[in-house]
Amino acid sequence: MTLAQERTLASKVRADFPILHQEIHGKPLIYLDNAATSQKPLAVLNALEDYYRGYNANVHRGVHTLSARATDAYEAARDKVQRFVNAARREEIIYTRNATEAINLVAYAWGNANVQAGDEIILSVMEHHSNLIPWQLLAQRTGAILKFVSLTETEEFDLAHYKSLLSERTKLVAVVHVSNTLGCINPVQEITTLAHQVGAKVLIDACQSVPHMAVDVQAIGCDWLVASGHKMCAPTGIGFLYGKLEVLRAMPPFLGGGEMIADVFLDHSTYADVPHKFEAGTPAIAEAIALGAAVDYLMAIGMDTIHAYEAELTTYLFQRLAELPEVRTYGPKPDANGEGRAALAAFTTGAVHPHDLSTILDQEGIAIRAGHHCTQPLHRLVKAQSTARASLYFYNTREEIDGFIAALKQAIDFFGGIFG
Amino acid sequence: MSLDNLRDLYQQVILERYKKPRNKGKTNPVDRYQKGHNPSCGDTIELTLKMAAEGNRIEDVKFEGEGCAISMASADLMADALRGRTVDEALEMVQKFQAMMRGEVEFPSEFRKLNVMQGVAQFPVRIKCANLSWHTLKAALEAAQGSEPIDVVSNE
Repeated sequence: MTLAQERTLASKVRADFPILHQEIHGKPLIYLDNAATSQKPLAVLNALEDYYRGYNANVHRGVHTLSARATDAYEAARDKVQRFVNAARREEIIYTRNATEAINLVAYAWGNANVQAGDEIILSVMEHHSNLIPWQLLAQRTGAILKFVSLTETEEFDLAHYKSLLSERTKLVAVVHVSNTLGCINPVQEITTLAHQVGAKVLIDACQSVPHMAVDVQAIGCDWLVASGHKMCAPTGIGFLYGKLEVLRAMPPFLGGGEMIADVFLDHSTYADVPHKFEAGTPAIAEAIALGAAVDYLMAIGMDTIHAYEAELTTYLFQRLAELPEVRTYGPKPDANGEGRAALAAFTTGAVHPHDLSTILDQEGIAIRAGHHCTQPLHRLVKAQSTARASLYFYNTREEIDGFIAALKQAIDFFGGIFG
Repeated sequence: MSLDNLRDLYQQVILERYKKPRNKGKTNPVDRYQKGHNPSCGDTIELTLKMAAEGNRIEDVKFEGEGCAISMASADLMADALRGRTVDEALEMVQKFQAMMRGEVEFPSEFRKLNVMQGVAQFPVRIKCANLSWHTLKAALEAAQGSEPIDVVSNE
């Protein structure tokens, strides 16, 4: 893709995001906190409004017209998510509140029934707390042992170390697809194949991959894959769990209640088949429908187009950051084509603490994240108490990166100048 | 860059104290010890106090910690202001500092150096940075007065 086309893509979509067209402290908003949450296009906002204005009703219950319309839209969104990640069956998509709930669902429903004392669970040191703490809790409940894949010198997933951890004791491998801090893209297909060779199940945390690139669960071969809608243009409060049909069917229910039942008696019940077995209670109907709208929106642009555009932005971001000798970035550097890492940069500067930097940039209308990004163990490992992070999406532009770099330079001067 | 706004927040004294704190370290002896943190951002502080022989007066204050300019400068300025104060006076200062962060009061002239932190009140998301050391101090003093000791006090 050429630069001219790149500008065309960003300029084409920016009109779809009303929130981007505002000033913060008198400066045009430059939103670079997309790894925390993305902004929502009009198509998604309209889907929410259309539902509440036109056909708000509970799903799978009523015989009346509105309920039928709501149910159709809710289930149609499931089909869209199925196509989005190329699941073999629509029943393999379970709606959850977010990726965290999806991981907890697996940790409780599958974990309690299948993991025993002495079993090993392999994670990596770069996991988000949401893909760490549910397994710590499972290990505490069962006596299972957690093992952690370390980093290579370039701060990527250490495949050799992973291989050395795998054994017949390995019951589960749960790893992140794209690190929200290092930005590395982990070889999930190879990770899955190797795990299956020892009979272990595999869960992939795809929160930072599905918004930015084509992800194919059948190609990866994983048993479960989780993601949050709000990082991919959908509202908060909706996410999904993909699971292989036979794996989901073999799992006992997680939450009990309405919607997930077949027959209920006072002393026992039988359960609905998947996906409803795991969707107890009135779900987030509007949000699920809006997730479907977000998938439509992303697929109309094309995930490959989004990824290619973001790769160009990544190249440019790292080029510009390299002009600042005080800046240390984490994770692998992008290759010449901007590939090999995600469109985000976690970094530190010598003089300016990330929180101070975030306040200073905010005065310029620039939103970045500062803190440990819910990867505290990783931050300890790379000896950073906290980092600043600029994370991009397909509506960001080179001009915005220029604005960010200019403000970053001034912040370093502001602090550095005083200290000399 | 809107440096005027930022100069309100990052006054010269704050930046100097951040870069060259005067009260880093541990007191000798350590009569009171308290660790505090801001879980959402990761800032931490370890506060140590040396008490006078009669036990009710703060003789020395030191801190170790990692954090932003606001939290570290606030701790350093606090340590200066506490020397020679009784426990009751110090607890009163905690109240006053927290009220200052709400924009309600400022300190009288003998503690005027603490007033350089006033600008933080205009940046609501940073108030917890400035409060961290004071919040930790409160726990250190109250633990000695018989409150249940807390391993790491959380300022949230």
